[in-house]
Amino acid sequence: MTSVKTFAWLTLLFPLAGCIVNALGYRVLRGKLPGYVGTAVLFASFVSAVLMLFSLQDLAVEERHVRAVAWDYMATTGFDGQLALLVDPLSVFMTVTITGVSALIHLYSVAYMGGDRGYTRFFSYLNFFVFSMLLLILAGNFIFLIVGWAFVGAASYLLISFWYRRETATAAGIKAFVINVLGDVGLVLGTFFIFRGSGTLDYLGTFEKAGQISSGDVTAGCILLLVGAFAKSAQIPLHTWLADAMEGPTPVSALIHAATMVTAGVYLIARMWPLFEQSSSAAAVGAIVGCATLFVSATIGLVVTDLKRIIAYSTMSQIGYMIMAVSSGAYVAGIFHFYTHAFFKALLFMAAGSVIAAMAGVQNIDQMRGFRKAMPFTFGCFVIGGLSLSGVPPFAGFFSKDEVLAYVADRGDWHVALVVVGYITAFITAVYTFRMIFRVFFGDPSPEARELEQGHLHHADVPRNPVTGEEEDTEVGFPGPEHHIAEQELPMRLAMGVLALAAIVAGWIQIPNVTEALDNFLEPTFEGSRFHEQLHPSDSLTFGGLAIGALCGIAGIAVAFLIWRRRPEIAVTLRERFRPLHTLFVNKWYADEALDRLFVRPAAWTGRFAQQTFERVVVNGLVVGGPVGLVRAGSAAVRSRQSGFLRAYAALMVLGLAGVLLWLLVRS
Amino acid sequence: MTIHLSIVLWLPAFAGMLALVARRFAGWVTFVGSLAALAYAVALLVDFDASSGALQYVTDKLWIDQLGIHYKLGVDGLNIALVGLTTLSFTVCVLWATLEREHPPQFFMWLGVMHTAVLGALLAQDLLLFVLFFDLMLVPVFFLTGIWGAGDRVRAIIRLFIYTLVGSLLMLAGAIALGVLSGTGGEVSFALSDIGSVTLDKGTQEWIFLCFAAAFLVKMPAFPVHGWMPDGYRSMPLPVLAVFSGVLSKVAAYGFLRVVTPLLPDATAHFQMLLLLVGLASILYGSIMAFTTTETRLILGYSSIAQLGFILLGVFSLDDDGAQGAILQSVNHGLVVVPAFFIVGLLAARAGGSQDLRDMGGVAFRAPILAGLFLIVALATLAMPGSSNFVGEFLILFGVFDTKIVIAIVAFTGVVLASVYMLRMFIRSMHNRVNPGVTPTDIRFADGLVLVPMVAVILLLALYPQLPLEKGEQTIPRQVEAASQATGDHHEIQVIR
Amino acid sequence: MSIAWYLAVSAIIFAIGAGGVLVKRNPLVILLCLELMLNAANLALIAFNRMHAEADVHGKVPHDGQVFALIVMVVAACEVTVGLGIIVAMYRRRLPVDVDELRELHG
Repeated sequence: MTSVKTFAWLTLLFPLAGCIVNALGYRVLRGKLPGYVGTAVLFASFVSAVLMLFSLQDLAVEERHVRAVAWDYMATTGFDGQLALLVDPLSVFMTVTITGVSALIHLYSVAYMGGDRGYTRFFSYLNFFVFSMLLLILAGNFIFLIVGWAFVGAASYLLISFWYRRETATAAGIKAFVINVLGDVGLVLGTFFIFRGSGTLDYLGTFEKAGQISSGDVTAGCILLLVGAFAKSAQIPLHTWLADAMEGPTPVSALIHAATMVTAGVYLIARMWPLFEQSSSAAAVGAIVGCATLFVSATIGLVVTDLKRIIAYSTMSQIGYMIMAVSSGAYVAGIFHFYTHAFFKALLFMAAGSVIAAMAGVQNIDQMRGFRKAMPFTFGCFVIGGLSLSGVPPFAGFFSKDEVLAYVADRGDWHVALVVVGYITAFITAVYTFRMIFRVFFGDPSPEARELEQGHLHHADVPRNPVTGEEEDTEVGFPGPEHHIAEQELPMRLAMGVLALAAIVAGWIQIPNVTEALDNFLEPTFEGSRFHEQLHPSDSLTFGGLAIGALCGIAGIAVAFLIWRRRPEIAVTLRERFRPLHTLFVNKWYADEALDRLFVRPAAWTGRFAQQTFERVVVNGLVVGGPVGLVRAGSAAVRSRQSGFLRAYAALMVLGLAGVLLWLLVRS
Repeated sequence: MTIHLSIVLWLPAFAGMLALVARRFAGWVTFVGSLAALAYAVALLVDFDASSGALQYVTDKLWIDQLGIHYKLGVDGLNIALVGLTTLSFTVCVLWATLEREHPPQFFMWLGVMHTAVLGALLAQDLLLFVLFFDLMLVPVFFLTGIWGAGDRVRAIIRLFIYTLVGSLLMLAGAIALGVLSGTGGEVSFALSDIGSVTLDKGTQEWIFLCFAAAFLVKMPAFPVHGWMPDGYRSMPLPVLAVFSGVLSKVAAYGFLRVVTPLLPDATAHFQMLLLLVGLASILYGSIMAFTTTETRLILGYSSIAQLGFILLGVFSLDDDGAQGAILQSVNHGLVVVPAFFIVGLLAARAGGSQDLRDMGGVAFRAPILAGLFLIVALATLAMPGSSNFVGEFLILFGVFDTKIVIAIVAFTGVVLASVYMLRMFIRSMHNRVNPGVTPTDIRFADGLVLVPMVAVILLLALYPQLPLEKGEQTIPRQVEAASQATGDHHEIQVIR
Repeated sequence: MSIAWYLAVSAIIFAIGAGGVLVKRNPLVILLCLELMLNAANLALIAFNRMHAEADVHGKVPHDGQVFALIVMVVAACEVTVGLGIIVAMYRRRLPVDVDELRELHG
């Protein structure tokens, strides 16, 4: 017990310490030291998380819910908010995965961000992010869930706007922050509803009382929690920020906007399963939205030309699978997919970052060609990641995606429709993934690739913003004048190599009819769940699903090969044939425009109206003008009697007194 | 150790008087006086018995026998945190003004008097003493702004003065009526404890309530009686503005809980909805105005309107949690607004004297310390979870949620809008391209002396908001209990610790 | 002797003073006239006290009227001091010594 608690606190505090050291020592730490400090604390945190896992496994099965309390945080009349952690198999599993992937991404960043002038700041933010994420995962009550939730939002904002001289980056940052605050609000309101029924903020206490909360409260609460999950996990309709978040440095995209933070919504639903099982309608909302997102974002991924944005849309799509899984009761499958996705998606981003560096910051795949020979290592990593994402056996994504679909199919009813969409999307996924690979790595080498083949890295004449093309202020911006990072640095190769290995083997911990390691490990968290007992896909369903999944993936790759390698004219024909559909996809289903029309413009209009009209006419005119006018009119009336003639005053006084005397005389 | 409240009360004014003869060291003399008051307040906080709900360290002298006015001071859970906030904010602001090296001794004298007036209003346990100090707060503001203000200061200050004075006169009338009408057997006493023992009939309560509400709402200010705010904020000297916005406005919120809710419970219940709507309107209007204006002072000004709207919601939720949240949020808002105004001054110094957002930008790279401190303050202001401001807002909104659910849900809009206007201010002053007129330099050591202690306290409370909460746990719920029962939908939540 | 005589004299003096204040323009003369009015009041006070005061239980006769008159004289002295000071200051600054010309304080 104590060792679990100690390791939990240590896991949490290492990244915080790294953040503080880097923040305060920004003048002292020279060279790459901040990067190594940041990476070292993450490895320490990872080790501590693994030790936490082992010491948790030493406990008896029914004791594997350890609460670690530091102090009372807001314990007052009616509330029992404490600074408390909850260590159970779910949180430990998430913690180990996150610290592991984070440590590797930190290592990658040591080299990748090497030429950046905000090096120390970057590692301070990145450490802060990991701290926040771990706080979110390990929190033992709703208060610290919300705190961690908001902290990761803030860290995400800071890192998206990391190159803050770019107006596109600051705009993307504020967009991400505001949508995330919307999610926070959903979470807080959801907490209110649930707290009203349960009377405690603590997870375990709430779950015990889940059955006693009125069904209205639990449904409202769960749907509001889903709002939080959707905002954080970039699900429709709160997804628009994620593509813009690609303004951040590539390691940030790998860490926050692929592997960890955006999966917080999945964790939330899995964590709150006792509540979601009380409210089938809320769970259904989650499953349907997840399914819609996975399809819509895959279609956008087909047509986008920005390398990082393609991967971002694929992230949204994959998170859609996870949300669908955990909302349908396939908790272990959802968490399994989170775990494999973290590896292969981080790998894809890292490889993409390597390519972008070789292109001196250009992200448009129209300009990339034939990088296969120039960067064989990156090519290998990209293909492994791509195969894993496309769900080709025996790569990691294959097992997890099919487990998701098999378990959801086992729910029966309308869930089958979701599964059909899931398989169609699996096909589209393979198509757009290999579209990237064929266009970037095959064909005639582009000038940049040719330059790299001769051992020289391309440098742009003037750094330009990859989105708007305007010239950049490089004082805080990447790429600096002397970058030399395209897969040539050891830390990058190391990180990518480990992840590539993981993207192959990570799925082997849970192979149907062979091993159920993850299932058994997570058992204590999900025991008592209705679906955990009910859902057991039959062998035919499981293996049929695996076969269909593999077929979808391979067919997708074949189609991509046909279109972009063999017969490039097909792409043009298709585009012409399906012009409206293409326009819809390119414009991202007009989600940005819809949000703009619905919320941003009305708010701005109200603001202008209040500023220019209301304040002037009503507040200054009526409310201020009224009393002030009254006072002014009164004073004007009195003032006109003040002639300044002393004798006139005297005469008035005498007359007045005489009047009073007369009155007295008359009365008597 | 026995603690005499009179000492902490009169010390700052005394130091202010000394400043008049100290000439060159006027600022430092006042600073030492405020610092001593702060030390005294800290001793008070440490010595305070949180488990007892009673008034502590009471001083009670019959001051004007014929009128039944007492010189009665006391501390309980309701005002102790605010006393701490007041002494801290004034100490920091006096230091700030001292380091600016451009203010004459009279300036510090008035600051000292203002400090005493605020402490008096907080500590007073006699209704007329409260009214006296409440009005006395305004006098230093009048001179400080009228003499050392900027821009069209005379017009602004006269408007402010008339506005607040109308409210104050109504309050005076209400206070006298309250004291006289609740006098028993010809014995009139204005001590709050004596007034509280008599309950007036509902009709009388209602007009007295309106008198008090007028004074407090103007002082806060709340929508729609905030008309004096924009001009007033534009022309006040920054250190004065910081304490004005940070501390003086909180006395109004405090007044509601000290005087109105316990003494006029039936009227409070009757007007609950009206005041909740005023609070809600303040939140929405303040937030909307804050994200459209480009003047940094006014962004903070309108955000204060929104924050005080939240505090008003907390008070009139008439709920244990809401009321505690209101007091906590008063403290929090004071703590963030003082450094925020200081930062506004720093930004203006870097933007060639302009306080307009359009003339700023891009300072962060050359001024990382300033950017970091500003970020902390900005995030705390927008009530980021993890800050004490969040705990305050959480309690307030839960209090409202518990009683009037629709209002709580609409009020959440204010939370979202807060993130928009604070981040907009942060980004447009710190990030984006460097504006041609901007000289990006980091803060000096002297600036750090002002800024760092405030940020440190913000961080301390973020880690341990229980500190102020537990002080008020026994007292604050009692202040709204009677009114809550009068509304008829009072209910308790069972808690499992 | 009847009190009416005293009062008549007092009233006449008062009327002369009031008339002077109203018609004269020289501040010095106005001050003199004010003195007349005050002394008229004093005369009335003393006359009333002399005629109507009654002894109390100890046989003592109160002198309230006289005391009042003394206080009025002190006040008048102060007033004249200040007033003459102002007039001298006006004269020094070569301002017109005429109350109709001095109307800076009009609204």
